[in-house]
Amino acid sequence: MSSTPALAASRTLLRVLLVLNLVVGAGIAALLAASFLFEETLMAGAVGEPLSPATMPLVMGMRGIAAIGIASIPLNHIFLTRLLAIVDTVRAGDAFVLANAVRLQTIAWTLLGLEMLHLLVGAVITGASTDERPLDIEWSFSFNPWLAVLLLFVLARVFEHGARMRADLEGTV
Amino acid sequence: MPILVKLDDMLHERRMTLTELADRIGITLANLSILKTGKARAVRFSTLEAICAALHCQPGDLLEFAAPDEETASPPL
Repeated sequence: MSSTPALAASRTLLRVLLVLNLVVGAGIAALLAASFLFEETLMAGAVGEPLSPATMPLVMGMRGIAAIGIASIPLNHIFLTRLLAIVDTVRAGDAFVLANAVRLQTIAWTLLGLEMLHLLVGAVITGASTDERPLDIEWSFSFNPWLAVLLLFVLARVFEHGARMRADLEGTV
Repeated sequence: MPILVKLDDMLHERRMTLTELADRIGITLANLSILKTGKARAVRFSTLEAICAALHCQPGDLLEFAAPDEETASPPL
């Protein structure tokens, strides 16, 4: 089958991303912990000036974004494991099953959750920034991920319908 | 399922095995077994026609509706 190398590559890539996600999560958690343990040195360096009441919004903003980053790790994990499971069913030659419709719907929910977290990051940046001390993190809003969420929910329903039709056809003599 | 498949009885009446029927009508033994054991979700008219022709019977001789409970059974649409 010509798609086998592509599927094998996808599987490998997803496994690498799964590990990378956990590593990044551990890294962010370590940074967040360090921001409390070595507050004076680490956060003063991050803010670019000695810590004072005026710099606290920036410090809290950075910690908030780190916390949001940690919250995204389980969502990424669910997203990747479900996608890996779908790829595995394609490799096994039986992708049109109800379980994949459920997985697709789960992926849509996780993507929705990730987009909500993305919005939250924007809110934190806006809340922590002042004219004198802006939180220098690039953030922009895009409609495309929201459209992807909508598309995934629709696709999950289409997949579910198709899987039921196939199950019916399989039971037809 | 309240639809009962009486293929076994009809085969017994006609002194025919499932394998013989499968050979005559060109349907796999596995598929006929699914039908015979009542595990099929649907039956094609072409299958019903082939079985009826081979067994010299009517569709009603092969299928029977048995309501699970007369009082709770939903009315026909």
